[in-house]
Amino acid sequence: MNTIVATPPEKRVIAEKDDAKAGEKTEASAELRKRMGDNLVAIGKYKDEKAFSDLYTYYAGRVKSFLMGKGMSDQIAEELMQEIMLTIWRRAESYDPKKAAASTWLFTIARNRRIDYLRGNSRIEVELDDEMLNLETTEEDPQAKYVNDQQAAEQLERALSKLPQEQRQVMHLSYFRGQSHGAIAKWLDLPIGTVKSRIRLAMQAVRVNLQNEEEALRSKTK
Amino acid sequence: MNISHHLTDETIQDYASGSLSMPMETLVACHLTVCSRCRNRAALSDGVAGSLFNEIKSVSVSTSASDLLARASSMPAHSAPLTNAEGRSAPLVTGVPRPLARLLSVPLEELDWRRIAPGIKQHNLSDQHRKHGAFQLLHLEPGTVLSAHSHNDRELTYLVEGSYTDETGTFKAGDIADLDGHDHTHQPVVDSEVPCIALIATQSPVNYSGVLGKIMQPFVGI
Repeated sequence: MNTIVATPPEKRVIAEKDDAKAGEKTEASAELRKRMGDNLVAIGKYKDEKAFSDLYTYYAGRVKSFLMGKGMSDQIAEELMQEIMLTIWRRAESYDPKKAAASTWLFTIARNRRIDYLRGNSRIEVELDDEMLNLETTEEDPQAKYVNDQQAAEQLERALSKLPQEQRQVMHLSYFRGQSHGAIAKWLDLPIGTVKSRIRLAMQAVRVNLQNEEEALRSKTK
Repeated sequence: MNISHHLTDETIQDYASGSLSMPMETLVACHLTVCSRCRNRAALSDGVAGSLFNEIKSVSVSTSASDLLARASSMPAHSAPLTNAEGRSAPLVTGVPRPLARLLSVPLEELDWRRIAPGIKQHNLSDQHRKHGAFQLLHLEPGTVLSAHSHNDRELTYLVEGSYTDETGTFKAGDIADLDGHDHTHQPVVDSEVPCIALIATQSPVNYSGVLGKIMQPFVGI
Protein backbone atom coordinates (compact mmCIF):
# COMPACT_ATOMS: atom_id res chain seq x y z
CA MET A 1 0.00 0.00 0.00
CA ASN A 2 1.19 3.42 -0.94
CA THR A 3 0.92 6.11 1.75
CA ILE A 4 3.51 8.66 0.86
CA VAL A 5 2.08 12.20 0.72
CA ALA A 6 -1.30 13.80 1.46
CA THR A 7 -3.14 10.61 2.27
CA PRO A 8 -6.91 11.03 1.97
CA PRO A 9 -8.71 10.49 5.31
CA GLU A 10 -10.31 7.17 4.38
CA LYS A 11 -6.96 5.77 3.35
CA ARG A 12 -5.45 7.01 6.55
CA VAL A 13 -7.88 4.86 8.50
CA ILE A 14 -6.80 1.84 6.51
CA ALA A 15 -3.17 2.71 7.16
CA GLU A 16 -3.85 2.84 10.89
CA LYS A 17 -5.58 -0.51 10.68
CA ASP A 18 -2.51 -1.84 8.88
CA ASP A 19 -0.37 -0.51 11.69
CA ALA A 20 -2.55 -2.27 14.22
CA LYS A 21 -2.28 -5.45 12.18
CA ALA A 22 1.48 -5.02 11.98
CA GLY A 23 1.50 -4.69 15.77
CA GLU A 24 -0.44 -7.94 16.13
CA LYS A 25 1.90 -9.57 13.65
CA THR A 26 4.97 -8.50 15.63
CA GLU A 27 3.42 -9.86 18.81
CA ALA A 28 2.56 -13.15 17.15
CA SER A 29 6.03 -13.54 15.72
CA ALA A 30 7.62 -12.69 19.08
CA GLU A 31 5.54 -15.46 20.63
CA LEU A 32 6.48 -17.89 17.86
CA ARG A 33 10.14 -17.02 18.22
CA LYS A 34 10.07 -17.70 21.95
CA ARG A 35 8.15 -20.96 21.52
CA MET A 36 10.56 -22.27 18.88
CA GLY A 37 13.58 -21.22 20.95
CA ASP A 38 12.12 -23.00 23.98
CA ASN A 39 11.47 -26.06 21.80
CA LEU A 40 15.10 -26.23 20.73
CA VAL A 41 16.30 -25.88 24.32
CA ALA A 42 13.90 -28.62 25.47
CA ILE A 43 15.08 -30.94 22.68
CA GLY A 44 18.70 -30.23 23.56
CA LYS A 45 18.23 -30.78 27.28
CA TYR A 46 15.62 -33.53 27.52
CA LYS A 47 15.20 -34.96 24.02
CA ASP A 48 11.63 -33.68 24.30
CA GLU A 49 9.67 -35.35 21.47
CA LYS A 50 6.66 -33.07 21.90
CA ALA A 51 8.86 -30.02 21.47
CA PHE A 52 10.39 -31.60 18.38
CA SER A 53 6.96 -32.34 16.97
CA ASP A 54 5.93 -28.69 17.40
CA LEU A 55 9.17 -27.47 15.80
CA TYR A 56 8.82 -29.99 12.97
CA THR A 57 5.22 -29.04 12.26
CA TYR A 58 6.23 -25.44 11.77
CA TYR A 59 9.61 -25.79 10.07
CA ALA A 60 9.75 -29.07 8.09
CA GLY A 61 7.61 -27.65 5.27
CA ARG A 62 9.60 -24.41 5.28
CA VAL A 63 12.94 -26.19 5.12
CA LYS A 64 11.65 -28.25 2.20
CA SER A 65 10.24 -25.12 0.56
CA PHE A 66 13.68 -23.47 0.82
CA LEU A 67 15.38 -26.50 -0.77
CA MET A 68 12.85 -26.70 -3.60
CA GLY A 69 12.99 -22.95 -4.10
CA LYS A 70 16.72 -23.30 -4.63
CA GLY A 71 16.11 -25.85 -7.37
CA MET A 72 15.79 -29.31 -5.79
CA SER A 73 13.17 -31.82 -6.85
CA ASP A 74 10.34 -32.69 -4.45
CA GLN A 75 11.83 -36.10 -3.70
CA ILE A 76 15.39 -34.96 -3.01
CA ALA A 77 14.15 -31.97 -1.01
CA GLU A 78 12.01 -34.31 1.10
CA GLU A 79 14.98 -36.59 1.83
CA LEU A 80 17.34 -33.74 2.61
CA MET A 81 14.69 -32.04 4.76
CA GLN A 82 14.43 -35.20 6.86
CA GLU A 83 18.18 -35.31 7.25
CA ILE A 84 18.22 -31.63 8.28
CA MET A 85 15.43 -32.10 10.83
CA LEU A 86 17.25 -35.12 12.22
CA THR A 87 20.44 -33.07 12.48
CA ILE A 88 18.45 -30.52 14.47
CA TRP A 89 17.12 -33.27 16.75
CA ARG A 90 20.61 -34.55 17.38
CA ARG A 91 22.41 -31.26 17.71
CA ALA A 92 19.91 -29.13 19.57
CA GLU A 93 22.11 -29.21 22.69
CA SER A 94 24.59 -26.96 20.87
CA TYR A 95 21.87 -24.35 20.33
CA ASP A 96 22.42 -21.22 22.43
CA PRO A 97 19.33 -19.00 22.58
CA LYS A 98 21.55 -16.05 23.52
CA LYS A 99 23.49 -16.35 20.28
CA ALA A 100 20.79 -16.79 17.66
CA ALA A 101 17.06 -17.00 17.11
CA ALA A 102 15.81 -20.56 16.51
CA SER A 103 14.96 -19.68 12.90
CA THR A 104 18.49 -18.39 12.28
CA TRP A 105 20.07 -21.52 13.72
CA LEU A 106 17.74 -23.68 11.65
CA PHE A 107 18.39 -21.74 8.48
CA THR A 108 22.17 -22.00 8.83
CA ILE A 109 21.94 -25.77 9.32
CA ALA A 110 19.66 -26.16 6.29
CA ARG A 111 21.92 -23.92 4.21
CA ASN A 112 25.11 -25.76 5.19
CA ARG A 113 23.54 -29.20 4.62
CA ARG A 114 22.38 -28.13 1.17
CA ILE A 115 25.88 -26.93 0.28
CA ASP A 116 27.41 -30.19 1.49
CA TYR A 117 24.87 -32.23 -0.45
CA LEU A 118 25.41 -30.31 -3.69
CA ARG A 119 29.17 -30.21 -3.85
CA GLY A 120 30.32 -33.00 -1.56
CA ASN A 121 32.36 -30.77 0.73
CA SER A 122 31.28 -28.69 3.67
CA ARG A 123 30.74 -24.97 3.86
CA ILE A 124 33.88 -22.99 4.67
CA GLU A 125 33.46 -20.87 7.80
CA VAL A 126 35.55 -18.87 10.23
CA GLU A 127 37.07 -21.08 12.93
CA LEU A 128 36.48 -19.49 16.28
CA ASP A 129 39.71 -20.91 17.75
CA ASP A 130 41.82 -19.58 14.87
CA GLU A 131 44.79 -17.69 16.34
CA MET A 132 44.42 -15.21 13.46
CA LEU A 133 40.90 -14.30 14.61
CA ASN A 134 40.60 -10.57 15.13
CA LEU A 135 38.35 -9.80 18.07
CA GLU A 136 38.76 -6.06 18.27
CA THR A 137 36.13 -3.89 16.69
CA THR A 138 37.57 -1.38 14.27
CA GLU A 139 34.48 0.80 14.22
CA GLU A 140 31.16 1.24 15.95
CA ASP A 141 29.40 -2.07 15.32
CA PRO A 142 25.92 -1.70 16.75
CA GLN A 143 24.59 -4.47 14.55
CA ALA A 144 26.86 -7.00 16.25
CA LYS A 145 24.59 -7.58 19.20
CA TYR A 146 21.34 -7.44 17.28
CA VAL A 147 21.31 -11.09 16.45
CA ASN A 148 21.99 -12.09 20.02
CA ASP A 149 18.79 -12.27 21.99
CA GLN A 150 15.02 -11.89 21.99
CA GLN A 151 14.99 -8.12 22.17
CA ALA A 152 17.59 -7.98 19.43
CA ALA A 153 15.50 -10.28 17.24
CA GLU A 154 12.53 -7.99 17.73
CA GLN A 155 14.58 -4.96 16.80
CA LEU A 156 15.83 -6.73 13.70
CA GLU A 157 12.30 -7.65 12.74
CA ARG A 158 11.17 -4.05 13.09
CA ALA A 159 14.18 -2.88 11.07
CA LEU A 160 13.23 -5.33 8.32
CA SER A 161 9.56 -4.38 8.37
CA LYS A 162 10.53 -0.83 7.43
CA LEU A 163 12.19 -1.89 4.18
CA PRO A 164 10.42 -1.02 0.94
CA GLN A 165 8.61 -4.02 -0.52
CA GLU A 166 10.92 -4.19 -3.55
CA GLN A 167 13.97 -4.56 -1.31
CA ARG A 168 12.33 -7.18 0.90
CA GLN A 169 11.37 -9.12 -2.21
CA VAL A 170 14.92 -9.18 -3.55
CA MET A 171 16.32 -10.23 -0.14
CA HIS A 172 13.72 -12.97 0.09
CA LEU A 173 14.47 -14.27 -3.40
CA SER A 174 18.19 -14.14 -2.81
CA TYR A 175 18.01 -16.23 0.38
CA PHE A 176 15.32 -18.71 -0.49
CA ARG A 177 14.75 -18.83 -4.24
CA GLY A 178 17.27 -17.84 -6.87
CA GLN A 179 20.64 -19.50 -7.25
CA SER A 180 22.28 -16.24 -8.36
CA HIS A 181 21.65 -12.53 -8.77
CA GLY A 182 21.40 -13.21 -12.49
CA ALA A 183 18.54 -15.66 -11.97
CA ILE A 184 16.69 -13.19 -9.74
CA ALA A 185 17.20 -10.43 -12.31
CA LYS A 186 15.67 -12.64 -15.00
CA TRP A 187 12.62 -13.47 -12.85
CA LEU A 188 11.93 -9.89 -11.96
CA ASP A 189 12.82 -8.72 -15.47
CA LEU A 190 15.30 -6.21 -14.04
CA PRO A 191 18.92 -5.46 -14.89
CA ILE A 192 21.31 -7.41 -12.65
CA GLY A 193 22.75 -4.11 -11.41
CA THR A 194 19.34 -3.16 -10.01
CA VAL A 195 19.10 -6.46 -8.12
CA LYS A 196 22.53 -5.91 -6.61
CA SER A 197 21.84 -2.31 -5.66
CA ARG A 198 18.57 -3.33 -3.98
CA ILE A 199 20.44 -5.86 -1.86
CA ARG A 200 23.03 -3.25 -0.98
CA LEU A 201 20.39 -0.63 -0.15
CA ALA A 202 18.42 -3.13 1.90
CA MET A 203 21.42 -4.05 4.06
CA GLN A 204 22.37 -0.41 4.49
CA ALA A 205 18.80 0.42 5.53
CA VAL A 206 18.73 -2.47 8.00
CA ARG A 207 21.91 -1.19 9.63
CA VAL A 208 20.59 2.37 9.81
CA ASN A 209 17.23 1.20 11.19
CA LEU A 210 19.02 -0.88 13.83
CA GLN A 211 21.13 2.08 14.82
CA ASN A 212 17.96 4.16 15.21
CA GLU A 213 16.39 1.41 17.30
CA GLU A 214 19.47 1.42 19.49
CA GLU A 215 19.40 5.19 19.90
CA ALA A 216 15.68 5.15 20.70
CA LEU A 217 16.33 2.51 23.34
CA ARG A 218 19.20 4.50 24.81
CA SER A 219 17.16 7.69 25.08
CA LYS A 220 14.32 5.71 26.71
CA THR A 221 16.56 4.26 29.39
CA LYS A 222 18.09 7.67 30.16
CA MET B 1 45.71 -6.15 11.40
CA ASN B 2 44.52 -2.85 10.07
CA ILE B 3 41.90 -3.63 7.47
CA SER B 4 41.01 -0.98 4.93
CA HIS B 5 39.41 -2.97 2.07
CA HIS B 6 36.26 -4.93 2.86
CA LEU B 7 33.69 -7.28 1.37
CA THR B 8 30.68 -5.73 -0.36
CA ASP B 9 27.19 -6.25 1.07
CA GLU B 10 26.27 -8.27 -2.04
CA THR B 11 29.09 -10.74 -1.48
CA ILE B 12 28.26 -11.07 2.23
CA GLN B 13 24.64 -11.68 1.23
CA ASP B 14 25.68 -14.38 -1.24
CA TYR B 15 27.82 -15.99 1.45
CA ALA B 16 24.88 -15.96 3.86
CA SER B 17 22.51 -17.44 1.30
CA GLY B 18 24.98 -20.20 0.40
CA SER B 19 25.39 -19.19 -3.23
CA LEU B 20 29.18 -18.91 -3.40
CA SER B 21 31.56 -21.55 -4.74
CA MET B 22 33.99 -23.31 -2.41
CA PRO B 23 36.93 -21.11 -3.52
CA MET B 24 34.91 -17.92 -2.98
CA GLU B 25 33.75 -19.16 0.43
CA THR B 26 37.38 -19.79 1.36
CA LEU B 27 38.36 -16.22 0.56
CA VAL B 28 35.35 -14.76 2.36
CA ALA B 29 36.09 -16.89 5.45
CA CYS B 30 39.77 -15.81 5.39
CA HIS B 31 38.77 -12.15 5.42
CA LEU B 32 36.04 -12.69 8.04
CA THR B 33 38.69 -14.28 10.29
CA VAL B 34 40.76 -11.10 10.41
CA CYS B 35 37.97 -8.50 10.00
CA SER B 36 35.44 -8.14 12.82
CA ARG B 37 33.50 -5.51 10.87
CA CYS B 38 32.68 -7.90 8.03
CA ARG B 39 32.19 -10.78 10.49
CA ASN B 40 29.50 -8.76 12.25
CA ARG B 41 27.88 -7.98 8.94
CA ALA B 42 27.88 -11.65 8.02
CA ALA B 43 26.24 -12.46 11.36
CA LEU B 44 23.63 -9.80 10.66
CA SER B 45 22.94 -11.33 7.24
CA ASP B 46 22.37 -14.71 8.91
CA GLY B 47 20.02 -13.01 11.35
CA VAL B 48 18.10 -11.41 8.49
CA ALA B 49 17.81 -14.83 6.81
CA GLY B 50 16.47 -16.30 10.05
CA SER B 51 13.94 -13.54 10.44
CA LEU B 52 12.70 -13.87 6.85
CA PHE B 53 12.74 -17.68 7.07
CA ASN B 54 9.57 -17.61 9.17
CA GLU B 55 7.79 -15.86 6.31
CA ILE B 56 8.44 -18.35 3.53
CA LYS B 57 5.53 -20.39 2.31
CA SER B 58 5.47 -23.90 3.68
CA VAL B 59 5.07 -26.94 1.38
CA SER B 60 3.62 -30.30 2.34
CA VAL B 61 5.93 -33.01 3.63
CA SER B 62 5.37 -36.75 3.46
CA THR B 63 6.78 -37.74 6.85
CA SER B 64 5.56 -36.95 10.35
CA ALA B 65 7.84 -35.97 13.23
CA SER B 66 7.13 -39.24 15.07
CA ASP B 67 7.86 -41.37 11.97
CA LEU B 68 11.13 -39.56 11.49
CA LEU B 69 12.17 -40.08 15.12
CA ALA B 70 11.10 -43.74 14.94
CA ARG B 71 13.36 -44.21 11.95
CA ALA B 72 16.17 -42.16 13.49
CA SER B 73 17.45 -45.14 15.47
CA SER B 74 18.15 -47.04 12.26
CA MET B 75 19.87 -44.09 10.61
CA PRO B 76 23.59 -43.33 11.07
CA ALA B 77 24.11 -41.61 14.43
CA HIS B 78 26.78 -39.26 13.18
CA SER B 79 25.75 -36.85 10.50
CA ALA B 80 28.21 -35.26 8.09
CA PRO B 81 30.05 -32.18 9.42
CA LEU B 82 28.22 -28.89 9.00
CA THR B 83 31.36 -26.90 8.36
CA ASN B 84 34.76 -27.54 6.87
CA ALA B 85 36.51 -27.47 10.26
CA GLU B 86 34.07 -29.54 12.28
CA GLY B 87 35.67 -32.53 13.95
CA ARG B 88 39.08 -31.77 12.47
CA SER B 89 42.20 -30.83 14.39
CA ALA B 90 43.99 -27.53 13.78
CA PRO B 91 45.86 -27.37 10.47
CA LEU B 92 49.64 -27.78 10.48
CA VAL B 93 50.43 -24.55 8.67
CA THR B 94 50.17 -21.45 10.88
CA GLY B 95 50.37 -17.70 10.24
CA VAL B 96 47.56 -17.68 7.67
CA PRO B 97 43.79 -17.85 8.33
CA ARG B 98 42.71 -21.44 8.82
CA PRO B 99 40.36 -21.64 5.83
CA LEU B 100 43.50 -21.19 3.69
CA ALA B 101 45.81 -23.16 6.00
CA ARG B 102 43.58 -26.25 5.57
CA LEU B 103 44.42 -26.26 1.86
CA LEU B 104 48.18 -26.26 2.45
CA SER B 105 50.35 -29.22 3.42
CA VAL B 106 53.52 -27.13 3.76
CA PRO B 107 54.20 -23.46 4.68
CA LEU B 108 53.75 -20.89 1.91
CA GLU B 109 57.47 -20.55 1.08
CA GLU B 110 57.83 -24.32 0.64
CA LEU B 111 54.95 -24.69 -1.83
CA ASP B 112 55.80 -25.87 -5.35
CA TRP B 113 55.49 -22.45 -6.93
CA ARG B 114 55.45 -22.43 -10.71
CA ARG B 115 57.16 -19.52 -12.43
CA ILE B 116 54.80 -18.08 -15.04
CA ALA B 117 56.35 -14.69 -15.86
CA PRO B 118 59.23 -12.53 -14.62
CA GLY B 119 58.59 -11.87 -10.91
CA ILE B 120 55.41 -13.95 -10.89
CA LYS B 121 54.95 -17.45 -9.48
CA GLN B 122 51.73 -19.36 -9.16
CA HIS B 123 50.39 -22.21 -7.06
CA ASN B 124 47.14 -23.69 -8.28
CA LEU B 125 44.56 -24.73 -5.66
CA SER B 126 41.88 -25.90 -8.05
CA ASP B 127 41.53 -29.20 -9.83
CA GLN B 128 38.86 -27.76 -12.11
CA HIS B 129 39.25 -26.52 -15.65
CA ARG B 130 40.00 -22.80 -15.69
CA LYS B 131 36.84 -22.02 -17.62
CA HIS B 132 35.07 -22.55 -14.26
CA GLY B 133 37.23 -19.80 -12.80
CA ALA B 134 40.60 -19.71 -11.06
CA PHE B 135 41.51 -20.63 -7.51
CA GLN B 136 45.17 -19.97 -6.88
CA LEU B 137 47.93 -18.33 -4.88
CA LEU B 138 50.17 -15.79 -6.60
CA HIS B 139 53.69 -14.96 -5.43
CA LEU B 140 54.81 -11.57 -6.74
CA GLU B 141 58.30 -10.15 -6.31
CA PRO B 142 58.63 -6.56 -5.04
CA GLY B 143 58.28 -4.08 -7.91
CA THR B 144 56.30 -6.44 -10.15
CA VAL B 145 53.80 -4.65 -12.36
CA LEU B 146 50.90 -6.79 -13.56
CA SER B 147 49.36 -6.36 -17.00
CA ALA B 148 46.40 -4.04 -17.12
CA HIS B 149 43.19 -6.04 -17.14
CA SER B 150 39.48 -5.94 -16.38
CA HIS B 151 37.00 -8.55 -15.11
CA ASN B 152 33.77 -10.01 -16.36
CA ASP B 153 32.39 -11.36 -13.17
CA ARG B 154 32.99 -11.55 -9.45
CA GLU B 155 36.61 -11.82 -8.43
CA LEU B 156 38.00 -11.92 -4.91
CA THR B 157 41.63 -11.30 -3.94
CA TYR B 158 42.75 -11.84 -0.35
CA LEU B 159 46.13 -10.38 0.58
CA VAL B 160 48.09 -12.98 2.55
CA GLU B 161 51.42 -11.11 2.76
CA GLY B 162 53.03 -7.96 1.37
CA SER B 163 51.11 -5.24 -0.42
CA TYR B 164 50.14 -3.90 -3.82
CA THR B 165 48.61 -0.69 -5.09
CA ASP B 166 46.27 -0.12 -7.99
CA GLU B 167 43.78 2.55 -9.06
CA THR B 168 41.50 1.66 -6.15
CA GLY B 169 44.08 1.93 -3.37
CA THR B 170 46.76 0.03 -1.45
CA PHE B 171 46.02 -3.52 -0.35
CA LYS B 172 47.80 -5.03 2.66
CA ALA B 173 47.66 -8.35 4.49
CA GLY B 174 44.07 -9.09 5.53
CA ASP B 175 42.50 -6.77 2.96
CA ILE B 176 40.16 -8.15 0.34
CA ALA B 177 39.59 -6.78 -3.14
CA ASP B 178 35.97 -7.56 -3.96
CA LEU B 179 35.54 -6.78 -7.64
CA ASP B 180 32.40 -7.48 -9.53
CA GLY B 181 32.25 -7.08 -13.27
CA HIS B 182 33.58 -3.54 -13.31
CA ASP B 183 34.42 -2.13 -16.72
CA HIS B 184 37.51 -0.16 -15.88
CA THR B 185 40.91 -1.70 -16.28
CA HIS B 186 43.26 -1.88 -13.31
CA GLN B 187 46.98 -2.46 -13.05
CA PRO B 188 48.36 -3.64 -9.69
CA VAL B 189 51.93 -2.77 -8.70
CA VAL B 190 53.66 -4.66 -5.87
CA ASP B 191 55.00 -1.98 -3.53
CA SER B 192 56.04 -3.99 -0.46
CA GLU B 193 59.67 -4.78 0.33
CA VAL B 194 58.78 -8.44 0.74
CA PRO B 195 57.08 -10.58 -1.91
CA CYS B 196 53.34 -10.11 -2.16
CA ILE B 197 51.30 -13.28 -1.76
CA ALA B 198 47.67 -13.16 -2.82
CA LEU B 199 44.89 -15.73 -2.75
CA ILE B 200 42.56 -15.38 -5.72
CA ALA B 201 39.23 -16.80 -6.79
CA THR B 202 37.49 -15.81 -10.01
CA GLN B 203 34.19 -16.84 -11.49
CA SER B 204 35.35 -16.51 -15.05
CA PRO B 205 38.68 -15.73 -16.75
CA VAL B 206 39.91 -12.15 -16.68
CA ASN B 207 40.35 -9.99 -19.82
CA TYR B 208 43.82 -8.66 -20.50
CA SER B 209 44.27 -5.70 -22.77
CA GLY B 210 47.87 -6.16 -24.04
CA VAL B 211 49.54 -8.96 -25.99
CA LEU B 212 51.67 -10.10 -23.05
CA GLY B 213 48.49 -9.97 -21.04
CA LYS B 214 46.79 -12.33 -23.47
CA ILE B 215 49.59 -14.83 -22.93
CA MET B 216 49.36 -14.49 -19.18
CA GLN B 217 45.58 -14.52 -19.09
CA PRO B 218 45.24 -18.18 -18.21
CA PHE B 219 47.46 -17.85 -15.16
CA VAL B 220 47.00 -14.56 -13.40
CA GLY B 221 43.92 -13.34 -11.67
CA ILE B 222 44.36 -10.17 -9.64
